[in-house]
Amino acid sequence: MSANVELDHRDSVGVARLSGDVDIVQAGVLRKKLLSAVSNDDLGLVVDLSAAGYIDSVGVSLLFELAERLSDRQLRFAVVMPDGGLVQRVLTIVKLDSVAEVHPDLDAALAALRSGA
Amino acid sequence: MKSQVAADRLRDLRSVTDAALAYLPLDDLLNELLGRVVGILDADTAAILLLDDDESTLVARAAKGLEEEVERGVRVPVGQGFAGRIAATRQPVQIENLDNAEIVNPILRKRGLRSLLGVPLVVEGGVIGVMHVGTLVERKFSKEDVALLQSAGDRAALAISSRLTERERGLADALQSSLIPPLPELPGLALAGRYLPAASAQLGGDWYDAFQLPDGRLGMAIGDVVGRGFYAAAVMGQLRSGLRAYALDGIAPSEVLGRLSRLLRQLVPGRTATALYLVLDPYGGSLVVSSAGHPPPLVAGDSGPTFVDLPGSAPLGATRHPTYEDRQHPIEPGSTLLLYTDGLVERPGESLDAGLERLRTVIGRGGDELEGLGDSLVDGLLPDGPAQDDAALLLARGLPLTDSLLTRLPADVESIPLIRRLLGRWLREAGATQAEAEDLSLATSEACANAIEHAYGPAAGILEVSASLSLGGEALVAVRDFGNWRQPRGVNRGRGLALMEGLTDAVDVVRGEDGTTVQLSRRLGAEAA
Repeated sequence: MSANVELDHRDSVGVARLSGDVDIVQAGVLRKKLLSAVSNDDLGLVVDLSAAGYIDSVGVSLLFELAERLSDRQLRFAVVMPDGGLVQRVLTIVKLDSVAEVHPDLDAALAALRSGA
Repeated sequence: MKSQVAADRLRDLRSVTDAALAYLPLDDLLNELLGRVVGILDADTAAILLLDDDESTLVARAAKGLEEEVERGVRVPVGQGFAGRIAATRQPVQIENLDNAEIVNPILRKRGLRSLLGVPLVVEGGVIGVMHVGTLVERKFSKEDVALLQSAGDRAALAISSRLTERERGLADALQSSLIPPLPELPGLALAGRYLPAASAQLGGDWYDAFQLPDGRLGMAIGDVVGRGFYAAAVMGQLRSGLRAYALDGIAPSEVLGRLSRLLRQLVPGRTATALYLVLDPYGGSLVVSSAGHPPPLVAGDSGPTFVDLPGSAPLGATRHPTYEDRQHPIEPGSTLLLYTDGLVERPGESLDAGLERLRTVIGRGGDELEGLGDSLVDGLLPDGPAQDDAALLLARGLPLTDSLLTRLPADVESIPLIRRLLGRWLREAGATQAEAEDLSLATSEACANAIEHAYGPAAGILEVSASLSLGGEALVAVRDFGNWRQPRGVNRGRGLALMEGLTDAVDVVRGEDGTTVQLSRRLGAEAA
């Protein structure tokens, strides 16, 4: 599937919903949109991968770059990870949880970011 | 005697048009002819306007004493003003006093003309333009003047028509070849296309296109712009480019057609076209299709040929806010997909259903090879050669994969999604679970990305991927490049290697004289180590 980003804002938290293939061909387009999704007035950003069917090392690097930028600005970073598919296997191997809070769904991610937990 | 004078004039004209001017370039011929007409009729100006390809406007082509008209490319709508009325009625028109006449072209008044006489240029019953003369003093043209101008016009029309046809032939060849696209070459997939111009024109508004999408799937389009000749072909070319541009953004077929409809309304108001766009996953067994008033594709598999069920829809450009729908349809490996235009199935005095039934019959007979099937379709559906309408068809078929896979692709990132999808299909056919196929395909993609980034040198342009099953039930994949190897650098490729190792049982890198091979293996039917 062609990759797409849908940006949303939920009470001071940016939400970026990624769909399709987050890969070497399409990461360039996604990167621009994702980096513009963060505002300094926000508490942080949630990247929702529940609709992403595929992610490769370039997509993973994009998430790590995002984590670094958010951390520089003292903003929080959470990722919604779909359960049991290729995306989860990939993000586990590369230890995404070392730089982002990982949650099973969007509500849990938003609640965690707001509560400061 | 007056009639003797007129006959003399006509003889003058004949000799000029038939012999001496025959070898002049068209523009010189027209200028010379107009000069003669001005002299013989004792007029001050003369001009020729030709009908544009859209057949709704006259464009100034040649003039004497009215050169400004040509320089400015004066355009007169058919049906309006002096020249427009001549073209619309196909009758000579005379204006004795310009003050009382409806005139579109301001240059005529500015030039101080008082009287005008114009005749239609007619070829084979159709108007191709207008020739007119004007005088600075008020004058009533005689019947003989009208007849004389009409004779000059007839001879000019013949010359223009034959020169245009000659010129069109060369242009048509160039335009045609630029509009028929080379089809992409994808492993495990055969494509074939045919375009058949109408009997009366070399160019038409039918078109097809096929191209690889950024995610490795295939975009296929077909369409039909009403009309024929250069104008229809030019509109068609714009639609084809527009569709491809929208499609490469990866949006749904229905959304591609919605945007294309808006584009057509803006480019050529009032013009409509039918089109069909679909995204085929040649290795995943399905397609997503949307139609804008275009007949449905035909899928011919083991269960016989069936038309994809599509909801009714408006042609492109027909309504301000068209709503197009997407339909998903399964397509088994080995089945044939056919897109076509109505020119292939329609015959005068026959219902469309009869044509569609004929299509089913011909494709039902099969054919082991796609190019051959393309020929059979043309021969079977258009047995008498080119018809009144032009016709296009586009065929696609997933080829059966062999026990061991071997494919060579350009060493370019665009090849990566293709390889991943192709390998995914091969692995599933070889008995891998969904997760095993996904893991090994991703690991292979990483190996390909490494090779593309790090192999360099004169032979680095090719990537070879092979896959086979070992006797022990292991899937073995080899990614081979033919360049010199640079050590992978940076955290990015480090992650790629981590993924290769994490998603397979073993990763081996073998560096040779003529390139590097990365070998990946994974036991099927078991969890990754």
